[in-house]
Amino acid sequence: MLRRTALAATALVAATALALTACSGESAPAPTATGTPDPDASVAIRLVLEPGNLDIRKTAGAALDQILVDNIYQGLVSRTPEQEIVPALASDFSVSADGLTYTFTLREGVTFHDGSELTPADVVWSLETRQESDDWSDSARLANVESVEADGQTITLTLSAPDSTLLWNLTGRAGIILKKGDKVDYNTAENGTGPFILDSWRQGDSITFVRNEEYWGDSAGVAEVVFDYIPDNQAALNAALAGEVDVLTGFDANLKDQIEATGDYALVLGESTDKGVLAFNQSEGSPLADQRVRQAIRQSIDHQAFVDALASGQTLYGPIPSLDPGYEDLADVAPYDPDTARTLLAEAGAEDLELTLTIPSFYSTTIPQILVSDLNEVGITLTVESVDFSTWLNDVYVNQDYDLSFVLHTEARDFENWANPDYYFTYDSAEVQDLYAQAVASTSESQAATLLERAARIVSEDAAADWLYNGASVLAVGTNVAGMPSVNVNERLNLAELTKSDG
Amino acid sequence: MIRYALTRLTLLLLGLFVASALIFLTLRVLPGDVALLIGGVNSSPEQIAAIRESMGLNRSLPVQYLEWIGGVLRGDLGTSLLTGSSVAAEIAQKAEVTIPLGLMSLAIAITLSVPLGVISALRRGRAGGTALSVSAQTLAAVPVVWAGMMLVVVFAVWLGWLPAQGFPRAGWNDPAAALRALVLPALTIGVVEGAMLMRFVRSATLQAIGQDYVRAAAAKGLTRTTALVRHGLPNVGLSVISVLGLQVAGIIVGAVVIEQLFSLPGIGRMLVADVGARDLPKVQGELLVLTGFVLIVGFVVDLVHRVIDPRQREAS
Repeated sequence: MLRRTALAATALVAATALALTACSGESAPAPTATGTPDPDASVAIRLVLEPGNLDIRKTAGAALDQILVDNIYQGLVSRTPEQEIVPALASDFSVSADGLTYTFTLREGVTFHDGSELTPADVVWSLETRQESDDWSDSARLANVESVEADGQTITLTLSAPDSTLLWNLTGRAGIILKKGDKVDYNTAENGTGPFILDSWRQGDSITFVRNEEYWGDSAGVAEVVFDYIPDNQAALNAALAGEVDVLTGFDANLKDQIEATGDYALVLGESTDKGVLAFNQSEGSPLADQRVRQAIRQSIDHQAFVDALASGQTLYGPIPSLDPGYEDLADVAPYDPDTARTLLAEAGAEDLELTLTIPSFYSTTIPQILVSDLNEVGITLTVESVDFSTWLNDVYVNQDYDLSFVLHTEARDFENWANPDYYFTYDSAEVQDLYAQAVASTSESQAATLLERAARIVSEDAAADWLYNGASVLAVGTNVAGMPSVNVNERLNLAELTKSDG
Repeated sequence: MIRYALTRLTLLLLGLFVASALIFLTLRVLPGDVALLIGGVNSSPEQIAAIRESMGLNRSLPVQYLEWIGGVLRGDLGTSLLTGSSVAAEIAQKAEVTIPLGLMSLAIAITLSVPLGVISALRRGRAGGTALSVSAQTLAAVPVVWAGMMLVVVFAVWLGWLPAQGFPRAGWNDPAAALRALVLPALTIGVVEGAMLMRFVRSATLQAIGQDYVRAAAAKGLTRTTALVRHGLPNVGLSVISVLGLQVAGIIVGAVVIEQLFSLPGIGRMLVADVGARDLPKVQGELLVLTGFVLIVGFVVDLVHRVIDPRQREAS
């Protein structure tokens, strides 16, 4: 999960070093194109992070979810940009009052891209195989499923214990439906049921989808979508200025004026679940094991500075962002107050503290710069160690060998990491673990959200980490393009309704 | 001559062998591995271990090296850990971008440097010569990335003549578009490398002007320029050939940077991505091919030099 998270992160922060001139960051609605949509149009979309291979069963990474889920592969249920759960391959679904039985009605007339028909046996096989295959991503998310059965078009999932996260998990990788026993080479090819078909992949350059003319639902609005992988923000801006791309994701909001000056693009800021997490290694023996030291660090950081520097997003003071259930504004827990920070450090006997920040190198230097200067203000010397992502995974994630670490966690509803003492956050609270278990076992959504809210407040009050900002999805969208999703696009990019007019 | 060629060939093979061992060992210093990247962070340590096992990452280094080098000797550069595709096939595909880019850069560098280097030597001490010389010094010191960005700003963004980035999806099936995509990147590398080469041409020319045979020819009634062109320039050409090997290495390094900047799907960009993904078999193959290429160019340059320079032949 972190992997997805961290990689997708590149998008948002990659080149914000340019300027600290903040243009206002209010959300803008996606522009409405005026011309007549051209059904034969090809739309070029700039993305930041290219996947290493296309095997969505086994290879982790947000780069895969971003383009493949919804567009190529589908599950029984899906989610809207507003994070609502809606039917997809199931035309209908219901959950029993005790939360133990999930019943889905499978659509008829759905075909895979190879032409074969989707059968209930494919659904049963996909869910069972995922659950049994440890090397498939997210297989543990189906842990509470006891059996999957098909009776005609009715699919029944029976659970051993209620699981309030199950439906949500089924909208993601855990719920993807594949053809039973398919022999396709998932590394480079696909066989899904979605509105687009993979046409070609030029590694290191672009991936092209074409419309699935046999799609069971409403056909896609464009004939072709080309994902252009351009990691560098300046190169992406140049490509836009030269009119080579129609949409840019992972854009730098500081470049708003430059791109809007062309008259061909509008900047769109959508909400996202991106959380800029400053992790504290609080295992025994570390100066950060002392809650006062962690609290002092939180209060020495001017969170608004990050939002200003990114020219997008909003402040965040706890583990749950506003799009997820259980969100509460926790600003009161760690207000910016260097004086209090100094007092806390003195109380903890931690004056002249020297710490190292380990940060993957694809993030902008703005973040470490602000941290170094804020912490220096209260007497903490921060050394920045910029490492490539593989090294980060090895040192920080696996070996937990770090003081402070920054990673942008993009995944929605990922509170579970705070209830996992083995996770690299090194946060261990029996109370939080218990509250989270109760939230999962809850049969009522509102009750689950209330429990998460309580747990999140404890995590924040314990200063388990600091949350530097809640990012936004920053896009530059061509004025002739409509139907471009703008919420949480680092994680999911459903392009079924995308259109482009010739005008 | 044959003895010289054989000795030189032995050196070449030895160089390749040492390079392969160095490439293999230095990559092993990198922390982290592709199994972690594939497994992601939802996987347990046991799962990561299983992925490592299935990829052969847990075998001893000598075994891994021998297996790799054995494959190379049989003409098999191995397969990518990430995509399972053949490294050789990937390199061949990316070479469609990198080789034309390199050739165009080299052509630009030579076209710029030879005449300008000679002119700046002939005009030494005069304003024009000094201006050329200073420009060369400055350009040679310019980072390739900066030069590329300036060219993009002028030709792609302001004038809109050439694409700012990318390579046509049709590749060389659309030759005009493919060429257009390579113009700015090749110009970037060509100008910077050309500036370095020009300084070399200039000093070689100045040296030639001072030689007895040029002065003798001038004394026989030729103008200084004609004497230089007829008798001095062949020697300048020889000197230039001998630095071409270095130029090729410079162009390859430039290509790694420039492909990144212009989003060109070439070997350089692939290399950077593969190092990040810890796809070590692929990185090894790519580095070995690039190193081999530079060493072979050096070998060919030495042989050519020897064939066309009578003094070297007599000396042996």
